[in-house]
Amino acid sequence: MSKFVVCSVIFPAIIISLFPWKNEPCHCLLQGLLSILRKLKSTPDQEVRILLLGLDNGGKTTLLKQLASEDISHITPTQGFNIKSVQSQGFKLNVWDIGGQRKIRPYWRNYFENTDVLIYVIDSADRKRFEETGQELAELLDEEKLSGVPVLIFANKQDLLTAAPASEIAEGLNLHTIRDRMWQIQSCSALTGEGIQEGMNWVCKSVNSKKK
Amino acid sequence: MIRRIWQYIYTSLLRSWLKWLLRKSTGTCELQRICSGSKPGATMTKKAEYSLQSSKNKVLREALETSKENVEKHVDQILKEKEIKPHSDQLFKANLHICLLQITGYNQLYVCVEDLRKEVFNSDNPKHEAMLLKLWDLLMPTVKLESRVTKQWGDIGFQGEDPKTDFRGMGLLGLLNLLFFSENYTAESRQVLSRANHPKLGYSYAIVGINLTEMAYSLLKSGALKPHFYNSVPGPPELKDFHQFYCYLAYEFNKFWVAEEPESIMHFNQYREKFHNIVKTHLQDPDVSLTLNAACN
Repeated sequence: MSKFVVCSVIFPAIIISLFPWKNEPCHCLLQGLLSILRKLKSTPDQEVRILLLGLDNGGKTTLLKQLASEDISHITPTQGFNIKSVQSQGFKLNVWDIGGQRKIRPYWRNYFENTDVLIYVIDSADRKRFEETGQELAELLDEEKLSGVPVLIFANKQDLLTAAPASEIAEGLNLHTIRDRMWQIQSCSALTGEGIQEGMNWVCKSVNSKKK
Repeated sequence: MIRRIWQYIYTSLLRSWLKWLLRKSTGTCELQRICSGSKPGATMTKKAEYSLQSSKNKVLREALETSKENVEKHVDQILKEKEIKPHSDQLFKANLHICLLQITGYNQLYVCVEDLRKEVFNSDNPKHEAMLLKLWDLLMPTVKLESRVTKQWGDIGFQGEDPKTDFRGMGLLGLLNLLFFSENYTAESRQVLSRANHPKLGYSYAIVGINLTEMAYSLLKSGALKPHFYNSVPGPPELKDFHQFYCYLAYEFNKFWVAEEPESIMHFNQYREKFHNIVKTHLQDPDVSLTLNAACN
């Protein structure tokens, strides 16, 4: 940021002092840049609290690392939680990735407060656990502290041949019966990054419309 | 800033002048002075490694890339290049040999560890399956596993009903470490497991173990483990030495966790980072040697 300020303010200033006869257009340029800078300064990024939940081995940590553009090849099961802040579309997204193993699911509720958007991650290839993941999601949607919170469901692991398509998962989870909040299902692959941007665009859009 | 300039001047100019001056006054080259005058272990090997790396001589730099089998040949080449008669300085030759074995061995160990990490745990591979079942038998000698896919795996700290999804980015390396600990320190690993299964102060033994494998792996990769291996293995470090270091981490982390009494498992990463920093501080000591020492505890 500071480098940007130095370049954008001082550089035109030098040009003005070196070429006084070219003063006018440069002066306008300087004014314009200054006003942009002022605007940038006056609206700090709005903070958004995002909760990342789902069963173990769903791909939450891989997704988190993809969002933060970090290496995803050394991931280990999450004991406890991970948190990362990511800048996106004028938002500061504080993403909480909470471990998904059954043993620590009772702790999920400790992280519900002030959540702006819930992202629920499903392993689309793990058909044996569709029922379990559906139950967990249903319980989350019943939580009072999460009432009205927009929910994005990532149908993850679409890179696997055995992955169920998002439409099938939506049907299985009876998503169309959700009436009390905005929701969206997005197929993605946290491994390749496919579909993640689309999902995050929806997240930012739902925060914006909630604000209004 | 000043430090950077100084460092630049030192490495590009002063170091070579100083070396020349010392060579003329003592009649020995830098490597000779290191290998005859330094304390064997990390102090000597790290200095020798730096000297070889920053050498302008290709023969010296190439010695760092060699394999265990060719170290002897490279030692002879260096002696020839530096015009040192082997019988005139026996100590130098022997020490240089050890240094090169340690340096090149460390790099080879990393390659070997990386291969195991990349090998995915495969349920169709009978060898992989046998190792997993052996881990259960070693940790739970009195309890029989009811079936291959069962909630019982949770009793030794896997997440779900099938451990295969828990090895993730650590692959077979994670399982090998867990197994080595149980095979070679059976009593200690059971003690760690029973403490990890504490209803309030506990953690998931196996997945924390896989997490600690990641710690050991990243320390190896960054080169931070060099002083430890240079001090504790007087030759090329091998896979079993890496497993030994994992055992140290698994045992010490448990002691650390119990002593810190964290509020809940949800604070794991915060304590993991604290423990990681303690280990990194130990590794900065030139005399470091981190081995599991159960007798003292």
